[in-house]
Amino acid sequence: MMTTKLFELEVENFRSIRGHMTVPLDAQVVLVHGENGAGKTSLLSAIELALTGDVQALRNADPGYKKQLIHRGAESGKVEIRVQGEAEMERFCASLAREGVTQHSQLDEARATFFTERSYLPQALLGQLLQIYQNSGTGIDSPLARFVARLLGLHRLDALEAGLKPAADVRNVRKIATRWTDTELELGRADRTIVDLARSRRGAAELVTAEIVRLADASRLLEISGPVSELGLEALENVIQTIDAEERLQQAIDRILRLDAVRREAESADNLSEQENEKELSYNQQEIAAALLRWREAHSSRLTALRDRVEVAFPSTTFPQGMADFRSRALELLRSGAIGFREQAARGAAEQARIVVAREERDVAQKQLELLDRELAQIGSNSEALGSALAEITSFIDGDTCPVCERDYGELGRGTLGSHVHEKVRRLSGAAERLLDISRIRSEQQLLVEQLDREIADLEVRQLNVDAELQLSRRSAEHDSLIGELDGLADIVTEGDRLEREDVALRRRLSERDGSDLARRAARETLTAFAREAGLPTLSEDEGLASAAMRLGEALNEQRRGLERRLSTRRNALDAIARARSAIVARDKAEQALKAEERRRRLASDSLDRAQALREDAQTIRKGVDVVRSAIIRREFNDRLNRVWRDLFVRLAPGEPFVPAFSVPKASTRRLQPKLVTHHRDGGRPGGTPGAMLSAGNLNTAALTLFLALHLAVPIQLPWLILDDPVQSMDDVHVAHLAALLKTLSKQHGRQLIVAVHDRQLFEYLKLELSPAQPEETLLAIELSRTHERDTHRLIDRLAWKEETALRAA
Amino acid sequence: MSDSLLVRALVSRLSEAGYELLPTPFRIATVAFEFTAALRGSRSRALDLVLVVDTTTGDFGDRRTERVRQRVEALGRALDVTGSRLAVTLILAGAALAGQVEGLAELCRVLIVDDVTINSDAKPATPAAAAQLDDRIRLLLPLDIPARPAGLEGSSGTMTSLRASLEGKVDADLVERLLSASDTGEKAVSEALGRALNMQLLRREPE
Repeated sequence: MMTTKLFELEVENFRSIRGHMTVPLDAQVVLVHGENGAGKTSLLSAIELALTGDVQALRNADPGYKKQLIHRGAESGKVEIRVQGEAEMERFCASLAREGVTQHSQLDEARATFFTERSYLPQALLGQLLQIYQNSGTGIDSPLARFVARLLGLHRLDALEAGLKPAADVRNVRKIATRWTDTELELGRADRTIVDLARSRRGAAELVTAEIVRLADASRLLEISGPVSELGLEALENVIQTIDAEERLQQAIDRILRLDAVRREAESADNLSEQENEKELSYNQQEIAAALLRWREAHSSRLTALRDRVEVAFPSTTFPQGMADFRSRALELLRSGAIGFREQAARGAAEQARIVVAREERDVAQKQLELLDRELAQIGSNSEALGSALAEITSFIDGDTCPVCERDYGELGRGTLGSHVHEKVRRLSGAAERLLDISRIRSEQQLLVEQLDREIADLEVRQLNVDAELQLSRRSAEHDSLIGELDGLADIVTEGDRLEREDVALRRRLSERDGSDLARRAARETLTAFAREAGLPTLSEDEGLASAAMRLGEALNEQRRGLERRLSTRRNALDAIARARSAIVARDKAEQALKAEERRRRLASDSLDRAQALREDAQTIRKGVDVVRSAIIRREFNDRLNRVWRDLFVRLAPGEPFVPAFSVPKASTRRLQPKLVTHHRDGGRPGGTPGAMLSAGNLNTAALTLFLALHLAVPIQLPWLILDDPVQSMDDVHVAHLAALLKTLSKQHGRQLIVAVHDRQLFEYLKLELSPAQPEETLLAIELSRTHERDTHRLIDRLAWKEETALRAA
Repeated sequence: MSDSLLVRALVSRLSEAGYELLPTPFRIATVAFEFTAALRGSRSRALDLVLVVDTTTGDFGDRRTERVRQRVEALGRALDVTGSRLAVTLILAGAALAGQVEGLAELCRVLIVDDVTINSDAKPATPAAAAQLDDRIRLLLPLDIPARPAGLEGSSGTMTSLRASLEGKVDADLVERLLSASDTGEKAVSEALGRALNMQLLRREPE
C-alpha cells in the first residue's frame, strides 16, 4: 500500500478564502465543515489546483477561469500543498495574481490525471449524477455517457474523434482548413503558368536558334571567320561594327557623282573639238572684223545723221543701239505716224464739207417751223370745245328751226339744219385732229433745229487754225522723207548687222574653245586620279575621256553595289544580333520565371504534402483514439467493475432489490454507449433502467458508488479520496451507510479521505463514525467560517485514538 | 430460548468477518442491555457495535418495535453519557414494517435481513442464499476488490494512454494541439486541426 499522504495545505486569497490560512491534512480522515460560502469547495479546489495546475470543474464552466481564481480584491495569493511521500516531502504550489495563475510545481501527468479522474469528486460532477439516472438514455449524448466519458477523459476522445472526422474527406478538410482550397487552386494556377512559361521559353529558344543560323549566314557573307554561337554575340557584334563599308560606299557614291560631272564636262569638250578647226575659226573672225570696219567707215556718218533726225522726230522715245534694230523700230514709228497724219487731214476735210451741209439743213428746218406756226394760228384753239357743244345741241334740233336763234335754216335752202350742224361738228373735230398732228410735227422740227445748231457749233470749234494745219503737213512730209531714206538703207543696215553678229559669235566661240581645252585637261587628270584612288587601271594615252569615264563609272558602280550588299548584310547581321539578344532575354526571363514558378509550385506542393501528411496523422490519431478508447472501455467497463460497483451499491442501499450495472460492451470499439441496467440483486431477470427501477436517493447512491468503483477498480496511484459534499439529497439511511463505507475505505483500504459537508449534524456524525479505532489512526475535523470583511477562519479539531471503555460485559 | 437459524447464520457470518460476539446482557456504564446478539468489530472496526434483533421469534421485546426502539435509545444515551465513539448498527432479522425501520433509522444504522433461506445447520442453503445474506449486511463486511484480469494492466490516464499510443507515429505538435483542444469539444478539435493544416499550407520554406 502506498503511503503517500496529503500533509498540509497553505491557501492565501484563493476564491472564497480570504487571507492566509494553513490547513493540516495529515490524518487518515479529514472532515471539513462550513456553511455554504465558507470556503469548503475552495479548499478542495485549492488542493486540485496545487496538485494538477487546473480546476476541472471550473474549466468546464469557463475556460478563462484562471483569472478568476484570486480572491476578489486581493493582489496576490497562493496555494501550496505538501505531500508526504514514502521518502520525502513533496511540495506543489501555484501563485495567483489577477492576470492568472503561475504554476511552480505539480504532479506528474499520470498522477495528475489519476487525481482528476479518480481521486477527486467535485460537487459539480456529483451534481450531474442525479440527472444521469433520471434521464438514463442510452445514446452517446445521454447524461450518463457524458458523465462517464468526462470521468474517464473519454469525452476528450469523443471530441477528438468527432473533431477529426473531417480529415477523412478532403471536401470537409477544405471546410476546416480554408487554405487547403487556396493551395489547391494555387497549384492549378501554377501548373497552367508553368505550361505557359515553358511554351514561351521554347518559342524564344527557337527564335534564338533561328537568328543564330541567320547570323552565321551573314557572317559567312561578311567573311568573318569562326563559329557563331550565342555566347560569341558580343564579340561578333564588335567585329561587324568595325566593317567600314559605309564610308567606302560614301566615297564610291561621291566618286560616281564627281565622275558624272567630269564626264559631262569631257563630253562637251569633245563636242566642241569635233565641230571646227581652231585656226579656221580665228581667220574667219579676222575677216569679219575687217569687213565690219570697212562697213563702218562707209556708212557710219550717214547712219548717225539719220539717227539724229529720227531721234528729233520722236524726242520721248529711246531707240536700240543696233543698226538693224534701230532701223526697224524707227520705220515702225514713222509709218504709224504717217498714217496718223493722213487720217487727221482726211477728217479735217470731211468736217469742212459737213459744216456747209449742216448749215443748209438748219435753214430748211427753220423755215418749216415758221410754216407750221402759221397753220396753227389759223386753226384756232377753241374748235374742239365748240364741236362738243354743237354735238350736244344736235339732240335739241327739231326740224330746221334753230334752237338758239329759232330761225328756220330751211329758208337758206342749203339742206337741213341737222345735216348742217352735223357737218359743222365734223369739220370742227377734223380741225382738232389736225391741230394735234401739227403740234407733234412742230416739236420734231424744233428738235432737229436744235441738233443741227449743236453739230454746227461743234464742227466750228474743231476747225483747225492755219498754223496747226501747216505744222501737220510739215511733219507729215518729214516722216515721209525719213521713211524713204530708211527704206533706202535697208541693204546696208542688214549687211552691217550681219557683220556685227558674226563678229560677236566668232569671238565667243574662240573664247569657249579656249575654256573647253582647260576642262578636258582637268577632266583627264580627275579621271586618272579617280582610277588611282579607286584602285582601277589608269587612263591610257589613247583612251577617250568618255570611254574612260564610262569604264570608271561601271567599275565604281560595281564597287558601289558590292558595298551596298555588304552594308545590307551587315545591317541584317546586326538586326539578327539584336533580335537574338531580345530573344535570349525573353528566353532567360521565361526560364527564370519558370524556375521561380516551379519553385513556388514545389513549395506549395510541399505545403500541401505536409498538410496531407498532417491530415493522415489526424486520421491516424483518430484511429488511435478508437484503439485507446476501446482499450479503456474494455479495461474499465467489464464485469469486474460491475462487481465492485454492485458491492458498493449494496452497501449503501441494502434494501434496494435492484442494483445498477453497465451493460458491458462486447465487441464494440466505437464510442462508449454505456447502457445502464439493473439486475435484481438476488439474480433472475434483469430489471429496467435505473431511472425506472431505483428511488431518487438510490440513484444518487448509484452515482456516488460508480465514482468509488472507478476509483477502486484500477491500480491505485494516489490513495486519496476527496469528496465534496457527497451526501446532498441523500436520506439519513444512506448517509449512515455512506459513513460505514467511508470507514471501510479509509480503514480497510488505507484511503486518505477528505470529505467536505455543510450539514452540521452530519459533520458531527461523521466525526463519530470515522473516529480513530486504533492508536495509529487520526481524524482532523476542520471548521471553516467567514464573516463579511473578515479573513477566513479555521478551527481545527484533531481527534486521536482513545481506548473505548464504555462497553463492558455485564 | 435458543437463537433462530437466521440469527445464528448472521452471527456466524459476522464472526467470520472479524466481529466478536459480546455476552448478553452487556453493560454500558452501569446500564445493562439485552439483545438477541451483540457483536463488536475488531481492529479498524473496533468502534462498530452490531446489535441483532430477531423480529420474528426474538426475546427481549424484539418482536415489538417500541421495545426495540426504547432499548436502542437507551443505549444511545448511555453511549453519549460515557463519551463513547461506538457506532451502532442494528440488524433486524426477519420481516419489519417500513415505518418501523424508518423510526429506528433515526437512531442508528439499520440493516434488515429477511428472506434468506437458511438450512438446518444455520448456514445459507445455497451460494445464492449466502450471497443474499452477505448483501444484506455487506456494510459490515470487508470490501473485497477482485483482482484485475491479466492483459488489462496499466491504468494511466486516457490522454496519457493516447499520447503513448501515438508517440513516434505522428506529428507530436499536432497531437498536443489536438489534445489540448479536445477538452473544449469537437469543434475546437476541428478548428485546431484546421489551424494546424493552414499553418502547414501557409508555410513556404523549402524542406
